[in-house]
Amino acid sequence: MQADRRRLNAPPGGTAPPVFATAPKTKLQRPTRTREPDQHRKLFLRTGIVPSASGSAYYEIPPQQQQQTGLLVPQSSSLKITCTVHGPRPLPRNAAFSPNLLLSTHVKFAPFATRNRRGYVQNASERDLGAHLETALRGVVIGERFPKSGCEVVVTVLEGEEDGWWAGNAEGRGGGWGMMGVLAGCITVASAALVDAGIDCVDLVSGGVAAVVQAGTDQRGDDGVVAIDPAPSEHDGGIRAACVVGYLQSRDEVTEMWMKGDAGMRAEQLIDEAVKAASLTRAVLAEAVKEAVEMKLEKVEGNAVAAASVKEGKGKSKDVVMTG
Amino acid sequence: MAPYTGIPLSPAELSYLHTSLSQDPPIRPDGRSPTQFRPLVAETDILPSTNGSARICFPDGTEAIVGVKAEVEKTRAAGQDVIRGGEGVLGLGRGGGRDVDDEEMEDGEGNAVKSGRGRDEWVEIAIELPALLADAGLKDTLWINNRFHWRLYIDILLLSQPLSYPLPLLSLTTHLALLSTRLPALISEQDEDPLFNDDWEASTPLYPRHTNPSSSVQQHHIKPPITLLVMTVGPAILFDPSADELAVADAVLALSVAQQLPTDATSKSSDQAPSFKLIALRTVDPPSRLTAGGVPNTLNTTTTTTTSSGTSGTMGSSQKKPTAGEVLAIRERDQGTSVWRPPRGGVSRAVVGRMIKAVVERGGVGWEVMEGLAGVET
Repeated sequence: MQADRRRLNAPPGGTAPPVFATAPKTKLQRPTRTREPDQHRKLFLRTGIVPSASGSAYYEIPPQQQQQTGLLVPQSSSLKITCTVHGPRPLPRNAAFSPNLLLSTHVKFAPFATRNRRGYVQNASERDLGAHLETALRGVVIGERFPKSGCEVVVTVLEGEEDGWWAGNAEGRGGGWGMMGVLAGCITVASAALVDAGIDCVDLVSGGVAAVVQAGTDQRGDDGVVAIDPAPSEHDGGIRAACVVGYLQSRDEVTEMWMKGDAGMRAEQLIDEAVKAASLTRAVLAEAVKEAVEMKLEKVEGNAVAAASVKEGKGKSKDVVMTG
Repeated sequence: MAPYTGIPLSPAELSYLHTSLSQDPPIRPDGRSPTQFRPLVAETDILPSTNGSARICFPDGTEAIVGVKAEVEKTRAAGQDVIRGGEGVLGLGRGGGRDVDDEEMEDGEGNAVKSGRGRDEWVEIAIELPALLADAGLKDTLWINNRFHWRLYIDILLLSQPLSYPLPLLSLTTHLALLSTRLPALISEQDEDPLFNDDWEASTPLYPRHTNPSSSVQQHHIKPPITLLVMTVGPAILFDPSADELAVADAVLALSVAQQLPTDATSKSSDQAPSFKLIALRTVDPPSRLTAGGVPNTLNTTTTTTTSSGTSGTMGSSQKKPTAGEVLAIRERDQGTSVWRPPRGGVSRAVVGRMIKAVVERGGVGWEVMEGLAGVET
């Protein structure tokens, strides 16, 4: 049979995905939370990583401890999010007049972000995350200073948090707790990118998440503890309620709040803990923004010095050798 | 009328509305009290070929019909979906699977057999109503035996254009429909293939309405959760906001409440008002943030030109047009006191706490709404 030469054909025999056999002696052990309930995971944040966008940022919660077992697959998920901000730029000609900045948010998981592959088109949960993020950002952006303009915030989740431990039982998984951690990261990273794009904001908004987790596995009567920044793989099936906030620290206000699950009487405590988590991330956020500004200033000064030296006619620019 | 919002109000009207709503007590355009709902038309059991149905018509013209259909479905054993190829597709496509079993309930008591066996995927709704899936009691009633379960299809038909935020309407209609849902009575035993009684009169309601103390207290006689829209303007907290009121909202919250299972005092709970718990909360982006701000008098070209025309020509030359920076400074200083300015920032935690309390507390708004809906006749 003639092969079709006009397109790339699949291998004739088909391929089998590689299966990594675990060494017989490795014992899967659920990762446990070694941090205190009020301790946040370490996180990394940097702005200005995408030169072509007017603002961008990268956010990561790396794995906190070295993996003990000899497995290739990480036991606990980490979080990696990038965000680019395009704008403010004029609305298209045919658009209606808008007295305010039109902010649109777009959250997308990369197809490889989670253990279960995601499609290329946004699904309902991603659209919902986008709506949450939009609510969080609308409150901080001073929209009336940018009439007739639009701004797009595009968030790509490169590695998302799972809803539970992958090797755990199927019943323990689910509940969508991983999404809440992702939203908190999205808010923080989008805030950093907005600042990088130079869009006027009333304050830095930072995301924080807290959850009511079961202390033990089979204590029925216990109330659980409120822990900030829960990693769902560490509390498999033990998360009862979770709350994400987008918090403005200097105004002591909340632009976004999303609570799920049965918090019972502890709803307000849960909110307070989420706010605490948000204030912790804000410290990193403020530092990252400050760092970026300092770098920009240095660059400006460097340029000024270079320009001055060029004027004097003894700068390095003379030494440039043209090749080719 | 500003596009993107659909709010046909000028900055002056918005400012007026905002001021009157932030009075104590607030003065609402339709004269309601802060916690009062608009009268609505509701009926249940309107669709003959469904297990339960309801229709609600809000006075602003929004209307929704909900039909609940139930089907018997074979239960996939946990962990089986990976091995069996045919059904594995379904299992994989679910993105992590949302099947939650409440282990805490299962291993607690011997008599609560059915609890903790329901799964999220047995309830299917096309849109995400935040609270419905969180209701563990509903999932558990769908359990028939070890091999079969009911699958509920809750279909919501929004008959009108969503003039304002449609979540409360959909939630209340779904609540009513679920209250009227009846499942055929089971006559087969144990793990046989299920066989049901043909007599519709003998069917069991999904949510038993009346609690009679003689029968054994079977898991829940609680009602499905509801979602309410609450907004703040200044210090005031307003329930069931109309589209006009939403146009000046500082913050809008959608709160989902459910009835709480009586913990220990079983006899006392029947005569007392049932307690409520918050099961979901989310902020909703208020349309007020997209409204156009007003122009302060000092910047208004018509007022400034009239004053300059009144003076001599030499004075007029000194009154130059303010630069962009000065305009910005004047607007900032105005702070929205003299003219309308779209709200900035969020809502303080104390206000959120007050909102939650107003809904959840004994005899609060959540209780009132559920009582009102329980009184709906077919």
